[in-house]
Amino acid sequence: MNNILVIAKKDFKSLVFSSPLWVISTLCSAVWSYLYLRELSTFVQRSSFVGGGPAGGADSLNIYYEVFAKHISLSNVIFLFLIPALTMKLLSEERKQKTYNLLLTVPISSLSIAVGKFLAGFGASLVLVFISLLYPLGTGLVADFSYSILFSAYLGLAFIVGAYVSVGLLSSSLTKSPLLSVMMGVILNLSILIVLGQADFLSEYPTFQSMIEYLSIGSHFVEFMQGLLQSKSIIYFISFISFFVFLTNRIIESSRWR
Amino acid sequence: MLKVKNLNKKYGSVHAVKNLSFKLEKGERLGFLGPNGAGKTTTMQIIAGALAPSSGTVSVAGHDVFESPKKVKKQIGYLPEIPPVYEDMKVCDYLKYVSQLKGILKVNLSKEIDEAIAKTNLESVANRYIQHLSKGFRQRVGLAQALLGNPPLLILDEPTVGLDPQQIIEIRELIKNLEGHSVLLSSHILSEVQNICTKAIIIKNGQIILEDNIQDLIHNESSSIVHLKLNSFTKEIENNLLNLNYVKHCAQKNNKIEIHLTNSSDELLIELSKFLINSGVGLIEQSPQDLKLENIFIELTK
Ligand SMILES: Nc1ncnc2c1ncn2[C@@H]1O[C@H](COP(=O)(O)OP(=O)(O)O)[C@@H](O)[C@H]1O
Ligand SMILES: [Mg+2]
Repeated sequence: MNNILVIAKKDFKSLVFSSPLWVISTLCSAVWSYLYLRELSTFVQRSSFVGGGPAGGADSLNIYYEVFAKHISLSNVIFLFLIPALTMKLLSEERKQKTYNLLLTVPISSLSIAVGKFLAGFGASLVLVFISLLYPLGTGLVADFSYSILFSAYLGLAFIVGAYVSVGLLSSSLTKSPLLSVMMGVILNLSILIVLGQADFLSEYPTFQSMIEYLSIGSHFVEFMQGLLQSKSIIYFISFISFFVFLTNRIIESSRWR
Repeated sequence: MLKVKNLNKKYGSVHAVKNLSFKLEKGERLGFLGPNGAGKTTTMQIIAGALAPSSGTVSVAGHDVFESPKKVKKQIGYLPEIPPVYEDMKVCDYLKYVSQLKGILKVNLSKEIDEAIAKTNLESVANRYIQHLSKGFRQRVGLAQALLGNPPLLILDEPTVGLDPQQIIEIRELIKNLEGHSVLLSSHILSEVQNICTKAIIIKNGQIILEDNIQDLIHNESSSIVHLKLNSFTKEIENNLLNLNYVKHCAQKNNKIEIHLTNSSDELLIELSKFLINSGVGLIEQSPQDLKLENIFIELTK
């Protein structure tokens, strides 16, 4: 346990104090600021046209679906592409810098290494989630709306980001090249999101369809977005993440058997 | 301390280590000599637990590397070929991190780090970022890292490779002055092993071709060649020498006479000097040739 935290702390620091995170968050903030403010102003215009205050009690659900939900979905798409760029360092950098030898020869298990690295990547990614959360929270200063659905959605976003981090960690364990690791991460994320999401073609086989839908990361995320906190979704994300962290552990272990 | 038995490692079709067996006793400094590609790094990685062998066993202080890897890793300080340092860390933070990875108790942490810094003379750069350090300093940081936790066995993979002559001398002195560790040191430079180690193994293509104490290696067969300086040297004296049953060969080289004896025992050398004095040729100098390890090495690894 202690070992895990030692690795998590060190890698979290080096991620947070490194340029990729700041490049990514600047990029995100730029995109968010532009699109978020546009959606918000359209919403304000329309709702005052329809009548009532800019964001009165009756509009509280609307502002969520018209503005926040769009912002959160956009955040999700951005994270899908950018989280792998954040996690690429976690293991491929160790291989490149030859510090991998150090990790393999200290009295620490491969699983502790994998879990520690996951926590570091997850922690750094939560910084991005937090920046994204600042937009709706800022709006909350001037408008009134239901916070519970917002937080449910952000919990979902945190889980899906955790899933991207675990995928990114695995891709980073597979190669020495950071660029290749980013590409692998994006492709894996996309295939998990898209391929598993398209279960309609199985509509004639309901059992398979529901199975594929259960495996789809998107369907669980949508539930969080709708304010439905379900234990099966939480269990889904935790198993998803554990599965990829465990695979990473196996890859680290297998590097001893090259 | 360290026992390696019938070790084999194949990388696909490359048989990098072949049936390697050797022992390292407590307190010994064993030089692991061989040209590039001989399998030194591979063997050391296996001992340190970074690589699994194809077959064979390694035990350190009685623990098997594959059965109880954690126990073994606590016994070993490993300096890989390229020092495993993080560019974006300060020297002291890096050493703290490694100490924590090694599971050194919190109460001993700063003492251990200070000791490692002192032994490797890193005081002046302790607060600098590793990316700004010269190669020699990085190597010392790598060495300090290996010393943390005071492990009984040090594995040093070509610690002076790529350094400038001044840095090489410093690192060698550092290693020589380390006390209380058994050392396995690899090198492709003979004088280095001669200088630092008490024993040497020469390997080539993954196999041991010679194993001995440094002293014995230097004298081994070498002293069967003797150089003489005589006041006068004539054909007659040469014939007399060749008539002796322990002289195989006799020739004049420059202003010296080179004699090959049948073996290198001290008795023979005494015999020879008695004979020369009695024959009144004016013996000025008689010296057994130090066939340097260098020559053996070049000869063996050709
Ligand atoms: N990861 C690897 N994959 C394939 N072959 C390797 C690998 N590492 C080393 N080798 C080969 O194994 C042999 C021994 O290499 P090495 O142990 O590095 O030798 P040394 O350290 O004595 O120079 C060389 O022929 C080398 O090319
Ligand atoms: Mg080598």
